[in-house]
Amino acid sequence: MAVLELSNVTGGYTRKPVIKDLNFTIGQGELVGLIGLNGAGKSTTIKHIIGTLIPQQGEIKINGISLKQDIDTYRSSFSYIPETPVLYDELTLKEHLELTAMAYGIDEKTMKERASRLLSEFRMEKRLNWFPSHFSKGMRQKVMIMCAFLVNPHLYIIDEPFVGLDPLGIQSLLDQMDEKKKEGASILMSTHILSTAEKHCDRIILLHDGRVRAQGTMKDLRNAFNMPNATLDDLYIAMTKEQDNE
Amino acid sequence: MNNLSQIWSKRFNHYLNEVQKYMRFVFTGHLAIVLVFVIGAVGYQYSEWLNVVDSSFPAEWVVGGIVGVVLVFSRPTTLLKEPDQVYLLPLETKMGYYFKKALQWSFFSQVGLASVVYIVSIPLLNEVTELTTTKIWLGLLLVITLKLLNLHSEFNFRYALRGKWVLLDRLIRIVFSILAIQTLLTDNNLLAIIYLILLFFYNLIWRKSANDQPIPYEHFVKLEQNRMMGFYRFANYFTDVPHITGGIHRRSWLSFLYLLVPYTKNNTQGYLVFRTFIRTDEHFYLWLRLTAISGIVAAFVNIPVVTLIVTAALSFATTIQLKYALLSSKEFRMDMLFPIGENLRVKAVHKLIRTVVFLQAIVVLICLIGQPLFYVPPIVVFIISELTYHLTKNPAKNIY
Repeated sequence: MAVLELSNVTGGYTRKPVIKDLNFTIGQGELVGLIGLNGAGKSTTIKHIIGTLIPQQGEIKINGISLKQDIDTYRSSFSYIPETPVLYDELTLKEHLELTAMAYGIDEKTMKERASRLLSEFRMEKRLNWFPSHFSKGMRQKVMIMCAFLVNPHLYIIDEPFVGLDPLGIQSLLDQMDEKKKEGASILMSTHILSTAEKHCDRIILLHDGRVRAQGTMKDLRNAFNMPNATLDDLYIAMTKEQDNE
Repeated sequence: MNNLSQIWSKRFNHYLNEVQKYMRFVFTGHLAIVLVFVIGAVGYQYSEWLNVVDSSFPAEWVVGGIVGVVLVFSRPTTLLKEPDQVYLLPLETKMGYYFKKALQWSFFSQVGLASVVYIVSIPLLNEVTELTTTKIWLGLLLVITLKLLNLHSEFNFRYALRGKWVLLDRLIRIVFSILAIQTLLTDNNLLAIIYLILLFFYNLIWRKSANDQPIPYEHFVKLEQNRMMGFYRFANYFTDVPHITGGIHRRSWLSFLYLLVPYTKNNTQGYLVFRTFIRTDEHFYLWLRLTAISGIVAAFVNIPVVTLIVTAALSFATTIQLKYALLSSKEFRMDMLFPIGENLRVKAVHKLIRTVVFLQAIVVLICLIGQPLFYVPPIVVFIISELTYHLTKNPAKNIY
C-alpha cells in the first residue's frame, strides 16, 4: 500500500486552481523528488498534503487515511520541514525539541536519546539554551530538521531543504534521510538542486504549471523525453522549452 | 542630486503620515484630557511657587541643568531604512545632501522642546535674577545655537565611531551646554562664548573624523528602527499597531511556573502558552501593568465601591486582552500541524489566564488587608475573569 496517495487533486488559495488534477503515490522506503520551476505548484502541493490547504477536488491519503477521516492519525503520520524555518521566538532550541516530542506523544527518555544523537549530528549541542534570534538561517533550518527527525514518522515532507545549509549540514541531512529510508520511512522532497535530486531520489515527479508533466525513475524520464544519457538538468530544460513551444 | 531630494521628500511625507495616523488616536483618547489637566495643575503650582521663591534659589544652575539635559538628547532623525545599505550604496559620495536635509528636519523637530523649557523658566529668572530682558532673550538664542551644535556633534560622533561611546559624547556635551547657559545667566558673557566655541570645535573634530569614514548604515538604520519602534509601542497603548514586534526575555526567575505544565502530550499547548506569556514582553508587561494598578488602587483608594469596580474592570481587561493575544494568530505556526486536539490551545490559554488572574487577586488581597470586607474584591476579580473567558467568543474560530 502506498504511504502517500494523491488522486485527482485540484486546489489553490483562491477559486482559481494552482494545482490541477494531480495523481501520484509514494511507496514505503521511497525518496521522491518534486521538481518544478518557481510557481509550478510545488509548495502548494505540499500545503495540501500537510493539510493547511484543503483540496477543491480529489483526495489525499496517508497510509490509507485522509485528514477528514482521522485528523490526529493523519497528522502524526508525517513531519514537515518548511522552506522558510518557522520557529517560536520565545522558545530555546531545547524547548523546540521538547515541545515537538510532547506533541507527538514521545516519552521523555526516547526524546532525550534521539535528541542527543541529532544534536551531535548537526553540531548544535552547545546551542541548546539559545533563542532563535541568535541563530543564523542555516541554524534555524537545522532546528526544523532536528524536530522533524525527532518524531520518526512514516513520511517526511521536506520543502527545499538545501538552501541555507552549509555543506556539512547538507551531508548530515542526506545521511539522516538515507538512514530513515532504510528503516522504511518515505520522503517527499521538493528542490531546485537537480544534481542532488538526481543522485539521491528513487523517483522524480516533474511539475509544470500545476500539472504532473512526467514521473518515474531517471530511466523512465529519459525514455519519456527520448533523451538517453541526459541529466536531470537537461530533461528539466527540455521540458520547459517544450512547454514554451506549445 | 535630484534623485536624493526625491528620496528624502518621499520618506519625509511617508514618515509624517505615519506619525499623524497614530497621533490622532493618541490625542483623541483620554490622554488629551489628562494632559490638559496635568499641564493646568503644574502651571498653577509653578505660579504659586514663584510668589514665595527665595532669591537665593540657584536658578542659573537649575535652568542650565534642565535645559542641558533636554539639549543633550539630540538623536538625528535620518529616516534611513534597511534596504538603503544596498540600494543607496552607489550614492555614497552624494549622501551629504540627504543628511543635510535630515539634520534640518531633526533641528526643527527638536528645537521646540528645548526652547519651550527655557521660555517656561523665564518667569523664574525674572523673579530670582537681575538679568535684563535683552539678556534673558539672548539666553533663548544661546539655547537654539546649542541645540544646533549638540545635534551636529551627536550626528558626527555617531557617524565617526559608528555608534560606540555615545555615553561619553553625551557627558562631554552636557557639561559644555550646562556651563554655557549657567555662565550666560550669571552675566559672564565671555566664558559663555568660550564654552560655545569649545563645543563648536568639538563638533568640528568629529566632523573631520566622520568625513574619512563610509556611511555607518547599520548604526543609523538601527537607530531609526529603535526610534520608530518606541513610537509604535507608545501608540500601541491607544490603538492596535501592526508593526509592533515585541521583545523576548527569558525571565528565568519565573521558570518555577513551568512546573504547572509537566511533560505530557496533553500539556503540549500549555508548555508553549506559559512560555509565550512569560517571555513575550508585550503579554507579560500587560499583566504586570494591570496588576500593579489593581494593587495601587486597592491599597490607596479607601472607597470600597471604587476599589471593587476598578479591580473588577481590570480583571476583565486582563482576561480579554490575554485571550485575544494568545488565541488569535494569522501566521502559520508549527503547532497547527501537531496531532493534538484542536481545543487543547483554548484549554491551555484558560489555564494560564486562571493562573495569572489568581496571582492578580492575591496582589489585590494583600493590598487590601486590614480593610473591612477585604476578601470581597479578590473573589470578584476571579469570578469576573472566569465569566469573561466563558462568555466572550473564541477569536481563533474564524481562522481555521
